[in-house]
Amino acid sequence: MIVFENVTVAYDRGAPALHSLDFEIKDGAAVGIIGANGAGKTTLFKALTGLLPFEGRITVNSVEVAKKNLPGIRKMLGYVMQNSDNQMFMPKVSDDMIFGPVNYGMSREEAGKRADEVLGKLNISYLRDRYNHKISGGEKRLAAIATVLAMEPEILLFDEPSSALDPKNRRMLINILNSLGETKLIASHDLDLVLDTCREVMLLNEGRLCAFGSAKEILTDKALLEANGLELPLRYQN
Amino acid sequence: MHMADALLSPQVAGVMYAASAVTAGISIYKLKKEEKLSEEPNYKKLPTMAVMAALVFAGQMINYAIPGTGSSGHLCGGMMLTALLGPYAGFLSMIVILTIQCLFFADGGLLALGANIWNMAFYGCFVGYFLIYRPIMRSKMMSSSVKSANRVKIILASMLGCVITLQLGAFSVVLETSLSGITELPFGSFLMLMQPIHLAVGAVEGLITSAILIFVCEARPSLLKDINITDEQRSKGSVKAVLITIAAVALIVGGGVSLLASGNPDGLEWALFGNSESGYSENMGLDEENFGVESKAAERAEKIQNKTSFFPDYAFSSDSENPAGTSVSGIVGSVMVAIAAAAVCFAGGFFRKRAAKKKKSN
Amino acid sequence: MNKAEKASRELAGAENLAHGDSFIHRMSPLSKLAVTVTYIAVTVSFGKYDFSALAVMALFPVIAYQLALIPVFTCFRKLRMILPLVCAVGLFNPVFDREILFTVGSLRISGGVVSMITLMMKGVFSLMASFLLAATTKIEDICASLRKLHIPKMLVSLLLLTFRYISVMLDEVSVMSCAYSLRSPGSRGVAVGAWGSFLGQLILRSSDRANELYESMVLRGFNGEFEYTRPQSGGAVSWLISAAVIALIFTARFFNLTEALGSLIGR
Repeated sequence: MIVFENVTVAYDRGAPALHSLDFEIKDGAAVGIIGANGAGKTTLFKALTGLLPFEGRITVNSVEVAKKNLPGIRKMLGYVMQNSDNQMFMPKVSDDMIFGPVNYGMSREEAGKRADEVLGKLNISYLRDRYNHKISGGEKRLAAIATVLAMEPEILLFDEPSSALDPKNRRMLINILNSLGETKLIASHDLDLVLDTCREVMLLNEGRLCAFGSAKEILTDKALLEANGLELPLRYQN
Repeated sequence: MHMADALLSPQVAGVMYAASAVTAGISIYKLKKEEKLSEEPNYKKLPTMAVMAALVFAGQMINYAIPGTGSSGHLCGGMMLTALLGPYAGFLSMIVILTIQCLFFADGGLLALGANIWNMAFYGCFVGYFLIYRPIMRSKMMSSSVKSANRVKIILASMLGCVITLQLGAFSVVLETSLSGITELPFGSFLMLMQPIHLAVGAVEGLITSAILIFVCEARPSLLKDINITDEQRSKGSVKAVLITIAAVALIVGGGVSLLASGNPDGLEWALFGNSESGYSENMGLDEENFGVESKAAERAEKIQNKTSFFPDYAFSSDSENPAGTSVSGIVGSVMVAIAAAAVCFAGGFFRKRAAKKKKSN
Repeated sequence: MNKAEKASRELAGAENLAHGDSFIHRMSPLSKLAVTVTYIAVTVSFGKYDFSALAVMALFPVIAYQLALIPVFTCFRKLRMILPLVCAVGLFNPVFDREILFTVGSLRISGGVVSMITLMMKGVFSLMASFLLAATTKIEDICASLRKLHIPKMLVSLLLLTFRYISVMLDEVSVMSCAYSLRSPGSRGVAVGAWGSFLGQLILRSSDRANELYESMVLRGFNGEFEYTRPQSGGAVSWLISAAVIALIFTARFFNLTEALGSLIGR
């Protein structure tokens, strides 16, 4: 369970990026986080993972996000970044997959086994010994998800998971997202993807929480979406 | 300015490797110490160094049109890396860049890597930073605004830094090549060939570097070293001191070199190992014969030299007895080796093709 | 095709070669390094007139390329990098050293010409050797053997990480150069007005990238240790072979094998 209590994030200059957020996300939930560019989606993830300092209180499974708890918190959270290149820093896909588990004290053999399992689960075993700079954008995204899954996190955070994916890869990604039982937070501009993968939606605008509720209701509310700089999902546009 | 293996004797290459290795060791030690003192987690530098090194490597592939000449130049980036990362991290990043260039692009050689690191990274990072960049950036400068003061300082530091460090680098190339006894070109003439070329290269490098640093300074000053500093640190620097240091060094080096180069056509050997007729050797204390006897360290050095003496000391002794007598069989043999090499290549190509065909038919 | 793209392809080419499968590829990286360094050191140690003794050294790389299933020609285009300075240094030798060493028929060969040829041979041979090492050894194996040589962890991790991001950065520069040249037809390069902003923009973006890279490392528990060592195979056999090759190299250094060959035919 993730709890935000009056969380504010202020950058050095300018307006705060997140403005007194209050919400709760239950275990096993799939929540879409939507909002125009600069609404604070990535900032929310960074505050949650302890990468940005914030005011207020965030707890993950009743552990507070604070400096002393960070290793434990980060082990529970799996953050799939928007740019896979920045996440895949080792030469090979398999190296990247064992990087996290080994850092958390697992032996290389065990980590390797776990990597194989995850790759099999995502149907990308052929990527195991491929080089990160020689695989396609879609493969990179799947491999990045695999590196995060290899750490067996309890909560998954996805930042723009479908950006730069072709339709086929996007469809595959939606299936993968739906097959994952963990708690999921999916920040995306791709409202159709959110509709396909999330039951709940959180709408942010300029760092404030504007709506939090059923995905169907929010994503069909044309007036609400347009007031916050968004448009209806494609399937509801005629 | 990358040196090839062929331009160095193993001895000189070894000395340069040792010098670069010691500097790298000191850099790593300093970085670790720096990280212990800072509040930031101590492993944040690594990704920054890697990304910036990769950036400089890729940045070398950009062509810059030089106005009025119709030609284009490019950046080496040593000085820029120092301004972004500081001397120690900059030095390590340059080592990595030069290693990758050496291995995958055959730019420079494996044996010459130590010398290349010294010539291109050491001067740019340490001389460029401690003697030029930092004092200038920390100096007080009278100007209407901080912005224009920073601009002037950056231009001054980049121009002086690039020109001087490249001159030192070119000087080292000449020195190392001459000490290796590779070229018949007298030391002075070789110097006259290299230094002016690198003056132009350095000026272009300086202009491009200052343009880039000014852009970065105005867009995100926190990325540059020594831009936002306290007044206490500020008092440490002075442009005048830099200029005086440079002028003094230039006078001594320039004067000494031109004296030696013009006074004696034999150049460097004469300069370092003396000319017994003129009695100069005693004064220099570097004469080979005299040098060995006097100190214990030298004795030890001589022992080591004797042990490694299968490398001929070719700068100072004639090489083979008289190649003329045996030359005919030598040439015949060389031709045969060439034929054998060609045959081996041909055979290899034949087998490769057959293997490829087999693979296809499978 | 711009320079960055060419460099990117060159890098990919060298990497593809390194992923080949041959006897040389399978040798222990450290033993290959030992042979390569010995070969280069011995090659450059030949006297400046010793071109004939040096000639036989050509056979080592030529044979090794065949064993590695790599055409010798792949390394020749790399020569453009090192030849200019070698030539600049060597071309003056005939001018300054005019002493006649020997005559072939009526042709009189001066010491300068011989030393120039010797110098160029050394340049070509040592390049062939060091390129072969890179073309038959993967980057992670190189890093692992550097660690075995006790090169500090920080430097080796930096090498590995830099290598990973070079291709990313080359792509960025390539796209930017392409976009620039499309909008400025016929230009030779970036104009003065954009000197600062062209690479400057990339520096700003790279700084963000470095930050995100650090974040992603930290999120996966990075604490300063970088895992990259991996098991290696074929130790003893490849060291045995390497020792034999090194012995051969020294034999070639001390005995003029080329001349022996020549006089054999001469009789």
